Amino acid sequence: MIEEDVLCPFCGCLCDDLKVEVEEGRIVGVKRACRLGMSKFMGHERIVAPMVRRDGVLVETSYEEAYERAAEILKAAKRPLLYGWCSTVCETAKKGILLAEEVGGVIDSTATVCHGPSIIGIEEKGLAGSTLGQVKNRADLIVFWGANPAEAHPRHTLRYSSNSTGMFTPEGRGGRKVIVVDVRKTRTAKNADKFVLIRPGTDYEVIAALRMIVKGKGDLLPDAVAGIAKSDLEEVADMMKAAKFGAVLIGLGLTHSRGRYKNVDGALSLVADLNGFTKFVVLAMRGHYNVAGFGQVCAWETGYPMAVDLSRGAPYFNPGETAACDLLARREADAMMVVAADPASNFPRKTVEAMAEIPVIQVDPYPNPTTFIADVVIPTAVCGIEAEGTAYRMDGLSLRMKKVVDSVYPTDEEVVENILDRVRRLGDDN
Amino acid sequence: MIIEGGIVYDPINGVLGEEMDLSIEDGRVVEKAGGSEVIDARGMLVMPGGVDAHAHIAGGKVNTGRIMRPEDGRRGTEPRTKLLRPSTGYTVPNCYAIGYRYARLGYTTAFEAATPILEARHTHEELEEIPIIDKGALTLFGNNWEVLECVRDGDLGKLAAFVAWGLLASRGYGVKVVNPGGGEAWGFGGNVKGIDDPVPSFDVTPREIIRYLMRANEALRLPHSVHLHTNNLGKPGNYETTLETLRAVEDIAASRNRQVLHVTHMQFSAYGGTGWRDFESKAPEIAGYFNRHDQFTMDMGQLIFGSATTMTADAPLEYGNARLLKAKWSNHDIELEESSGVVPIVYGRKNPINAIQWAIGLELALLTEDSWQMIMTTDHPNGGPFVNYPEVVALLMSRRKREEELATLHDLASKRTSLPSIEREMDWNEVAIVTRAGPARILGLPEKGHLGVGADGDVSIYEINPEKVDPSRDHEVVKAALARAKYTIKAGEVVVRDGEVVAVPQGSTYWVDASVPEADAARVRADLVEKFAKYYSIQMSNYMVQDAYVTRPRVVRAGVI
Amino acid sequence: MRNIVIRPRRHFRVPVEAERITPDLFAPLSIEEIRSLEVWEGNRRVALSELFDISGDEGPGRAEETQISLSGDFSRVKRVGEKMTCGRISVAGDVGMHAGNGMAAGEILVDGNAGDWLGREMRGGSIKVLGDAGDYVGAGYRGESCGMRGGEILIDGNAGDYLGEHLCGGAITVLGDVGDFPGIANRGGAIVIGGDAHLPGAEMASGTITVGGRARVLPSYQYVETVEIEGLRFKKFLGDLVEEGKGELYAASVEEGRG
Repeated sequence: MIEEDVLCPFCGCLCDDLKVEVEEGRIVGVKRACRLGMSKFMGHERIVAPMVRRDGVLVETSYEEAYERAAEILKAAKRPLLYGWCSTVCETAKKGILLAEEVGGVIDSTATVCHGPSIIGIEEKGLAGSTLGQVKNRADLIVFWGANPAEAHPRHTLRYSSNSTGMFTPEGRGGRKVIVVDVRKTRTAKNADKFVLIRPGTDYEVIAALRMIVKGKGDLLPDAVAGIAKSDLEEVADMMKAAKFGAVLIGLGLTHSRGRYKNVDGALSLVADLNGFTKFVVLAMRGHYNVAGFGQVCAWETGYPMAVDLSRGAPYFNPGETAACDLLARREADAMMVVAADPASNFPRKTVEAMAEIPVIQVDPYPNPTTFIADVVIPTAVCGIEAEGTAYRMDGLSLRMKKVVDSVYPTDEEVVENILDRVRRLGDDN
Repeated sequence: MIIEGGIVYDPINGVLGEEMDLSIEDGRVVEKAGGSEVIDARGMLVMPGGVDAHAHIAGGKVNTGRIMRPEDGRRGTEPRTKLLRPSTGYTVPNCYAIGYRYARLGYTTAFEAATPILEARHTHEELEEIPIIDKGALTLFGNNWEVLECVRDGDLGKLAAFVAWGLLASRGYGVKVVNPGGGEAWGFGGNVKGIDDPVPSFDVTPREIIRYLMRANEALRLPHSVHLHTNNLGKPGNYETTLETLRAVEDIAASRNRQVLHVTHMQFSAYGGTGWRDFESKAPEIAGYFNRHDQFTMDMGQLIFGSATTMTADAPLEYGNARLLKAKWSNHDIELEESSGVVPIVYGRKNPINAIQWAIGLELALLTEDSWQMIMTTDHPNGGPFVNYPEVVALLMSRRKREEELATLHDLASKRTSLPSIEREMDWNEVAIVTRAGPARILGLPEKGHLGVGADGDVSIYEINPEKVDPSRDHEVVKAALARAKYTIKAGEVVVRDGEVVAVPQGSTYWVDASVPEADAARVRADLVEKFAKYYSIQMSNYMVQDAYVTRPRVVRAGVI
Repeated sequence: MRNIVIRPRRHFRVPVEAERITPDLFAPLSIEEIRSLEVWEGNRRVALSELFDISGDEGPGRAEETQISLSGDFSRVKRVGEKMTCGRISVAGDVGMHAGNGMAAGEILVDGNAGDWLGREMRGGSIKVLGDAGDYVGAGYRGESCGMRGGEILIDGNAGDYLGEHLCGGAITVLGDVGDFPGIANRGGAIVIGGDAHLPGAEMASGTITVGGRARVLPSYQYVETVEIEGLRFKKFLGDLVEEGKGELYAASVEEGRG
């Protein structure tokens, strides 16, 4: 049996055109997926059963005991951290936020280590964006800034950006110009019409120089900015102003280099400036398939998109103080629940050390480095393959993920709900 | 449940301040209810639950407002309780605060004013999370490629079939048209300048788009009329565009017993002047026109001083606002369908433009003679947050209050508007019309906005005695009483008591299922298959809002067959 | 002056939120009443006396004549002196985040280091830190257009990133170095930095920033002239031109990077 138009639970592209071949309840083939998506569908090692740590060793246990243990840990904590939520559906996030309210915790997503700075930039300037289809149909200039879709979002260029075709872009790549700004010549850069190699940590200065040129103040610039010849920057600015529809697609190279959210802030301002001359939009190249969805759910439920401290019953938001990395780096958190993420692989070493000192609950289909420091491990079904639910593409478009095969495991949503239920039985003292 | 002895205002049933009992059973108003629950409403004002026909309460742009405005989020923060989720925000409250705050005002129904089909799933996710009130969402059609093509081809049958399909796909309630043609032009940074300015690439004009959508709306006999945000909204001198638009559709007749066109947040479309320097009110001209043309209705879009968040599918307007105000600017264009923008703003009493805008909303409301043609809104949160409705009611009921306010404003509010000379003060019956009965009738909700047998058991009870309080003089008492309902009853359940939320049921979501001839539907499907293959960035099978996103639907049937 | 002494009873791992430690709130209360004030340790509401020893002059007294002496490690105690309007808080040791949030008047003296967001949205009064301060000194809240609007902050040591972000008034002086983007998006006020600074005054609309050490200056600043201030020579720049800014930036030494 072939399941049509299946969504891919891997990256923020959230491709929705996959064909999945299922035989006797097992996936035997996937068409149209990239190698990243393919590997997820074809499956890899799973956590077999719930586990709890006894005498330093993870031993298999029942779901019931794992839920109880998780609830006790969260309930006992004065500053529990509930982290992850990027590789699961919005329905799980909703339950997670409710759980964070009930246990007086801090809830945060993987945005803290990817596009969190973009969101803080948006808080300064707003986001002049569009859906990806708008880029596909209209953009004659695409700028990848600190982004390398050739490696991280393999189908992005064909479906949505450089190589896509649409109403006003029938020639596809041939009718478009592509600019890449990065600190090294990536695979994406090799395919660009113009590549600007910048020194690490100078994005903000380069953006400021471009804004000067766009505003007609280029005369006041020095001959080179952060090592880039003024003539190169003028060429880029001219290409931008000459476009009928330009799209700036920003990646982690911009958000996680020196300058952080101010880099994004600068890029947003540049795009706003350019709209005085032509049409320009800016989009963040979000990593995990539903990290955007957590931000949306968190915003409509708590008012804020990430890093929400619910310890006093009212949401408090202050990244730098209330983000997962902040809590761990300061060794404030006294318990942690990780849902559908792997901080032990992605976080700075100091913060992983902090995780090792506190009780950690892991909810995930797959074993990963976080498993090694977890005290309670609860395996789940894979969202988008074994469970349905909502996910938000990197441009904020929501789609419904499908279930293509059955699973013996509970869904993330069910697991969080079960823990919430046990927490409530332990009483509400907030 | 029996509500005893209240002083009831129920304009639809001709009840004008009579002391009477009301009975509710199984969520509906009945002749005589059993059961023992009695609410003592003696000496209190009793009205049907409030109905908000136009507010931005759910969906992509509302959430964008939250995300870009943490500084707004921290205003209005209330911690969770054993019953309630936490609240945040003033102009862009979280979902829970929206439900709780409407209920505290005695409102039991609110409609989201604009959702693109492509992002309707998101809109419903938020609507599902708003507690207590009944909801619905109007669907945007004014810049949709399929619409523009049907208009260009003069194919009314196909257009009607597409509208029906769009309502189904978005689980939408009605046809919203925002700056028709301008949203498409904004795809390349342009706009349309008036109703006869052609839309780039599509060879149609806003006039044609509006006319065709109205004709399709009437062909489908939809419960609500076309809901229009005019071209040139927010610009000095735009009253001429507004009147031109209305004159252009005078020949179209309504297919049901309601208006043929609702022009929304009229305050933003009633401007005179050639620029901001000679900016002035043209509210008397607009209201005068409405007084001669009873087929049209409008809502105020009243401005409230202080913080607001403007959010609209009129994206070029928002870009202009952001540049003018040097404010944060979000924009979101939606492939093949719409564009939109979000910009925070602070309305200042001493700002001459804002002061005039404030007066225009009130002029419109007070100069429109038939209250059924004019309903109260603040275009939440564009003119200001809906929590200020008691302030607006107090202004409508008290000339003294208006004079007190005018004294604190820039003097152009008095010089460039007719407000100082307006003597009219609304009575409770008129207030009940502009906040309940009128919006329910305009939306086409026969079970809302009144308390006759069969109506929904949605009632608001305020601790104010209309026979003893003079709203003209005691406007502060009016405002305070309306801000905290003594009781709000939703479908026969007490949800607010003494201004506090005491129960959190989940309301339902209205949407319209309109039938069309299969031949027309098939032609639409063929078009869409091609559009999805070539232009949309998702698959057609993943487009439509699934049933999982509307868990308590209230489906209204309409259509041509 | 009435003196009230507060000492932590133990080490705090989980931060304590103690916005009630202000002269305004303490002044009308007896020592016993102060002990029973509630603060938060993470998600637990606890009496001040559970976490701290409290002693000192018996009250009540006038807030203007109230001094609170914090003695010990307060590095994990947040929001000390929030919204204070008078009186004095002295910290013998380090103080945590958000000390002097939104304070209107009065005085805070820290003889150790201060955490992030020192004097956030401050309106008036003075804060002096003998050690270092963290990020966001005198800054605003996320998304707001104004941070500190008045008062004075003096830091003898170094300060972190985003010093005086969205500064709209008042004065911040740092004798040592600061991190990235001091005075970003400021709309008034004065910042004096004794040491080095990275990209000062980005998006500055108005205000002045003086860097006594070396500054990496944005390309969107226009060099005007060399001027002498109190016997020292500074290069004067105007900017930030990307925002049509009219801010003044003085730097004793300019890092390569711009021409």
